[in-house]
Amino acid sequence: MRQKATSIFLGGVLAVLLVTAVFASTAGAAPAWRFNGEELKSPETVLGGAEKSGLTIPGMTTVCENFLYNITISNKSGTGEGSLTELPLYNCTTNTKCKVEAIEVLSLPYPANLTTISSANYIVIKGIKVKILYGNPLCVLNETWVEVTGTAGGSIDNATESATFSPTTFKATGTSLKAIGNSVEWNGFFPTEAFQWHREQALSVS
Amino acid sequence: MRKQRKTTRAVCAAMFVVALTSLGFAGSAQAKLIEPYIKFQYCPFKNTEVKRCIVSITNSGEVKLGKKSVPIEKPVTLQGAYGKPNETTKISKFFEPTNGITLSKAAQNVPGGLAGIVPEASSPPLVKALIKFFFENKLTGLTSTLELAKPASEIQISEDNLAREEGVALKLPVKVHLENPFLGKSCYVGSSSSPINWELTTGKTSPKAPNTSIEGQTGTISFVEEGLILHINENKLVDNNWSAPSASGCGGILGFLVNPIINSQLGTTTAGNNTAILNNTIDETTPFALKLIEEENP
Repeated sequence: MRQKATSIFLGGVLAVLLVTAVFASTAGAAPAWRFNGEELKSPETVLGGAEKSGLTIPGMTTVCENFLYNITISNKSGTGEGSLTELPLYNCTTNTKCKVEAIEVLSLPYPANLTTISSANYIVIKGIKVKILYGNPLCVLNETWVEVTGTAGGSIDNATESATFSPTTFKATGTSLKAIGNSVEWNGFFPTEAFQWHREQALSVS
Repeated sequence: MRKQRKTTRAVCAAMFVVALTSLGFAGSAQAKLIEPYIKFQYCPFKNTEVKRCIVSITNSGEVKLGKKSVPIEKPVTLQGAYGKPNETTKISKFFEPTNGITLSKAAQNVPGGLAGIVPEASSPPLVKALIKFFFENKLTGLTSTLELAKPASEIQISEDNLAREEGVALKLPVKVHLENPFLGKSCYVGSSSSPINWELTTGKTSPKAPNTSIEGQTGTISFVEEGLILHINENKLVDNNWSAPSASGCGGILGFLVNPIINSQLGTTTAGNNTAILNNTIDETTPFALKLIEEENP
């Protein structure tokens, strides 16, 4: 009787361990930054600009023509990290009567880290805080600063050396951006390129 | 005789012209705003201090006063406008709508009716006799109507706090009108001189005991009409740290007997014993948008 109980208990423990191990390998595993397949040893600066990027609150999308970024990347104990140091945003417009009068990126730098979820690699940027001042007396947000805050998770594609942010990648990484008490959609495609020691080398994550 | 007929005809023709002119004016003075802007028709948008026009409809919720809870089953509309927020406090001044009805009066049914608030068994003989009369005549329904206790200018609104889900989003001085033939027409909890001050939030409350923290929410926002209107669904404003004065004016000449009965039935109404939960649909626009729509639809 006691033996049977012990074997059931051990079986349970084994099952829990197996499930835990499976989850550890699918969610939250830590990939590293690589250049030409070699693991990055010292920090590197990566610059880029979004080809397409828009922030959407239902009924209004704000798009910036110049959506640049500057991120310092490094590996710490084999895990890819980053620090977003610059995010200059210019020439922003909306698809409504609202105009973008000003846009401020606050609380830089934003820490970032790489993670693997279900065999896909993602970059997660934390502590985002962007303020947008909308204008035009007709616009219901005229003279109102809208604060966008939160964490953004984007998928990394080694083939195109790019990061893509979309509702799908936000869902996969469990991240969200909020504005006016609501989740906002951020869609962006960001090509990446090393600017310091690894220029013209292929950037990958694995 | 002929002259008299001629005069009558002239008077009739003149009256007809006046009537036609009046109709013409009435037609052009109204019917300027079109859908979906008609809901803002009473916004004082010609006032240069007005920054936003607002219409908030409370579709459901609950007002708990002491031991008595009244569900909100009939819509209550708060409408008007507000100005530019104070740079430090982020609070805006509120402006009365042009029709003067800032808070619509919707009589909500009090569960249990008169029996729920004036128990026959424990009442003095005179009151007992009157209650018996009302019950026999089936005049037992009791309603509770929320009314604005102060001028609209005493309302305060913070769009910043509403969006951030913290702090006071709407400060509303109200009084509760209890109505039943037995209670008379002047049975109120709260008054102009001693209002119930609701400090409603979309965030978390920090009430006194025995109440515990409850949470509101900004709701789901969307922009319509190319950003001219902001629509908020599922907005939830809450406050459970307000106090209410005693009921007064109940029972007419028997007030000295009825007021204490009602107050004993309500129980303690100090802060921590009352709750207001308002589930709203909010629409906002700007005065410029309304002026534009008027110009486009003469």
